[in-house]
Amino acid sequence: MTPPTATAPEPVTAPLIPPSTHRYADVIHRLEAGGSMLPDTPENLMQIIGIYKAYAVPMDFYWRDLLYIAEQVFLDPLPAFKYFISQEYLDLPNSYAGDQSKLRIWRGGEKAHPELLEFMANGEAGKMPKLLHHLWHDRINMEFAEACMEAMLWHQDMGGRFYDYLDSDAYRANADRAIKAYFRGNPLMLGLYRLFPEMFMEQVKKMSYYANLGLFWEVMAPVFFEMSDIYDEGGFSGVPAAMDFLVNGIFAVAGRPIYHHVYIKGECFEIIPKSEGFTWLYEAALPYVEAVFYRTAPFRGTKSYNAQAYQVPSDQADFHYGILYADVFPVGSAGIPPTLLMQDMLHFLPPYLVDLYKTHKRGEEDQLIQLGITFQRSMYNVTSAVIQALRDALLYPLDDTDPEHLMANRRFFEAQMDRFLRPEARLSQIQTQDYR
Amino acid sequence: MANIIETAKGAGVFGTLLTAVEVAGLTGALESPGPFTVFAPVDDAFAALPPGTVQTLVDNVPQLARILKFHVLSGAYRREQLIEQPEWESLEGAPVAIRRAEPFEVKNATVVSADIVCDNGIVHVIDRVILPG
Amino acid sequence: MGSSTLLLLLAAPLAGTLLLPLLPATVASVRVRGIAALFGALQLLVGLLCWQTPPADLQLSWLPKLGLRLDLGLDGLSLPLVLLTALITSLSILSAAADQSRPRLFFSLMLATNLGVVGGLLARNALLFVLAFELVLIPITLLVAVWGGEKRAGAAVRFLLYSAVSGLVLLAAVLAFAWFNPAGPLFAFEDLRQAQFSPTAQRWILALLLLSFGLKLPVFPLHGWQPFTYGQTPTPVVMLLAGSVSKLGAYGLLRFGVGFLPETWAAWSPWIAAAGSISAVYGALNAIAQNDIRRLMAFSSLGHMGLLVLGLSAATPLSLQGAVAQMLAHGIIVALLFACVGLIERKTGTTAIPELSGLMNPLRGLPFTMGMLLLAMMAAAGIPGLAGFPAELLVFEGSWTIFPRITLVSLIASGFTAVYAVRLFNRVGFGRLDNERAEWTSTCWSERAPAMALAVLVIAAGLWPTALTGWSETESTGLALRTQPFLSRSAAQPLSLAAAASPLIAVTLPSASELRTS
Repeated sequence: MTPPTATAPEPVTAPLIPPSTHRYADVIHRLEAGGSMLPDTPENLMQIIGIYKAYAVPMDFYWRDLLYIAEQVFLDPLPAFKYFISQEYLDLPNSYAGDQSKLRIWRGGEKAHPELLEFMANGEAGKMPKLLHHLWHDRINMEFAEACMEAMLWHQDMGGRFYDYLDSDAYRANADRAIKAYFRGNPLMLGLYRLFPEMFMEQVKKMSYYANLGLFWEVMAPVFFEMSDIYDEGGFSGVPAAMDFLVNGIFAVAGRPIYHHVYIKGECFEIIPKSEGFTWLYEAALPYVEAVFYRTAPFRGTKSYNAQAYQVPSDQADFHYGILYADVFPVGSAGIPPTLLMQDMLHFLPPYLVDLYKTHKRGEEDQLIQLGITFQRSMYNVTSAVIQALRDALLYPLDDTDPEHLMANRRFFEAQMDRFLRPEARLSQIQTQDYR
Repeated sequence: MANIIETAKGAGVFGTLLTAVEVAGLTGALESPGPFTVFAPVDDAFAALPPGTVQTLVDNVPQLARILKFHVLSGAYRREQLIEQPEWESLEGAPVAIRRAEPFEVKNATVVSADIVCDNGIVHVIDRVILPG
Repeated sequence: MGSSTLLLLLAAPLAGTLLLPLLPATVASVRVRGIAALFGALQLLVGLLCWQTPPADLQLSWLPKLGLRLDLGLDGLSLPLVLLTALITSLSILSAAADQSRPRLFFSLMLATNLGVVGGLLARNALLFVLAFELVLIPITLLVAVWGGEKRAGAAVRFLLYSAVSGLVLLAAVLAFAWFNPAGPLFAFEDLRQAQFSPTAQRWILALLLLSFGLKLPVFPLHGWQPFTYGQTPTPVVMLLAGSVSKLGAYGLLRFGVGFLPETWAAWSPWIAAAGSISAVYGALNAIAQNDIRRLMAFSSLGHMGLLVLGLSAATPLSLQGAVAQMLAHGIIVALLFACVGLIERKTGTTAIPELSGLMNPLRGLPFTMGMLLLAMMAAAGIPGLAGFPAELLVFEGSWTIFPRITLVSLIASGFTAVYAVRLFNRVGFGRLDNERAEWTSTCWSERAPAMALAVLVIAAGLWPTALTGWSETESTGLALRTQPFLSRSAAQPLSLAAAASPLIAVTLPSASELRTS
């Protein structure tokens, strides 16, 4: 029994560090409290989970085809059928989903998603021969995946050892063997290789990045499917919970090896062997976020590439054409043309998102734009998860009691927010629900 | 005196670390003359990582080795020597930052017990797994 | 067809003007709009009947002491303009917003304007013409003053001042006609045509006429009211103003200047042509510099009127046909231009070019409206296949033998129209649509319908130029002061081309010469 002289519960302790004076102070405080850059509202949660699911279905195709191109198509000089994935790769079991996986933390299956298979069979136009679907562009827009790959290929200084390894002697030796094996019996191509070795080397590097991106997305697809399932079961309490799920996912597969194995006439050539120790987190995920979310490159026609025009930054790190900065209109005004991805996602929207879009703006007419903006919100959430994961890995817990640790966290968050100070950033727009 | 591996076995709080070192095939290296400076995370440090992290690493030896090598410096250094430099190059190649002298902090981990001298090096016990970057 | 048909042409808008305010206040604005458009359509229908069966002239006595007679007549010159006015009145009424404020007063004032214009076109008596000319002034001033933009008060006052001066000067000119007529004060057109004025008298009268109609068209340097007023006037009114009221000035120049004072006109024509070409260049250059779409179109209109004046000044059969064609073509083109601008303003809330961009966006822009705007701008620039081309072609072909250098300057000005057309479309249509402001709904079919009708006419007139020229071939030949050297077989013979070409009119309307004898 509580004695009558007992004191009232202790008041909330005063914050250990003074509030931030950054322009995005409220976002920083939300991050320090364990939240996401995206505000925690039920509609935000619904939007991002729905679009994760719509994103994961084409992603299921992307990672398989990327690996198919990296491992099988390899140096085909005229790869007209590189999007015609082989059955073996379409049926390739996902290494991180399904009962055969070594890491069984997500409940989904290892096979290609049934909606994907149904779309590949019918498309929008109905049953047609595959070639007609391809020519009519009634298919998954693989060009988007290739554009992501090219962004990762072109940008440097994004952390990790991958980029530098591609210039190392070990890699060049492996690549040389693979090239010679691939073109055995083809004097024309071997002669070209003799004349222009760097050109072939560059193609092999490109294929290595195909593999890198494919292995990255192989993991992300089951994560997103699992998030959609949890949301359908009502298991997410809010946007921070969804973000935490992503953080845990990032850690869980951080150690996944990144490699590039090529199969030439049945023989496996390890261009980048697993023994090099490249990890999913450092060599795939972090460069991907940097290259695709932040940087990419301006879409042709929106900026002049003329150096004297000074429209494109001279420093690669200053590039700001990724989804976090994009103006989401399908006239190609973002770095990676989001149009292709948006059209892919349009085919797989869950019904609750379709209903949401019908009630806003122009309803069914401008679904593409509405879902593009939803996608932008969701990618801010993914970026928040990456930021929180980095903080967890390299800095201190959010409930740390040491003010110096908290200030170190604060400086880290502020440095991240500094990247959104430029006018093109959409961080302030996603704070309101009106941005559609 | 015992070598690093024997010292760790004797302490009783390094079960996960020792298993990881065994799987990564680094036991022999850590029993060799060295000398080494080892930042050894306790079992609780590994348990604090989100589920699946350790298992993925254990399933992939080269990646695990990379993380483990990040906890080792070439040469045996005591705390007084370590705090003189802001950064030390690890065996993995990435630098290990010494963030504070009092309390003694290595990257984002606090050293709970410093300067445990062994035959082939010095062990500092840390409360978190440190990661490159 | 009796001459009472001519009265019907006037009765329709008059009835509308008087009856619309009597409708009960509970009638929805959309209904009022529909009824008003019906009056315009009725006028158009009667006009088309007049085309099929030309009515005889009507001559009623009104105020004989003053010389004011209700003399009405239709010939090849006034018929197409009457049809144009009726059409543009109906379409501009339909372009008004569905929730137009104070609709009964608004639409009745528009029909009153129509009454004035059609009255002026039908008049065969100079005083009647002046009366109709003045009648146009008050409704438009009220329309601008009550329903105009932010600076409507200033615009209305300026328009009132300029138009009042124009009307007064016209009255002075007509009175001068009477004063200087050796045969006594006569006002009927046929009398004025036959009257012999002394050269000094002719110069005075022509000077007054040029001042009056130059203010109306307008022509540089008398254009001070136009950009301001066009910028502040509501869309339906500016469609009517630019599309048909300004043509009254051109019609007056043709009828009074070329028709009644041929010698002085021919003597002064170099200066008139120069004024026209300066107008064309000035209008085009200013249009390039504008930041507001309406003002841009006002200056564009100024430029096109300059070309019209050039055609009138050269006064060859071909150039006069070109001038009439330009009246018709420009009428529908400028109405279409302002209809599109009106839609843009209604949806986006602004006509400032710096604030608009990316309107062609198929998902959140106004792609249909921009398509029609593109068509209108191409027509204004004189792209072949659209209405502007045959008109400008005839003007230039007809004028260059008489005024080669001036015509060359006007050609260059015509080239400038492409500059501002592209500039406008580039800024407003292409580029990035600002998502923060793209809150508007798309246009619906009922909103697009008037503009679509005009667009169809623009294309039709471009592909079938006889629609622009066929009405007036005999009249323009009759009014021409000079021959076309390279076309005529001998200097004295009238243009044989006109006789050889099949006229649009199945039955030849009484030409000017025949009017003289009736």
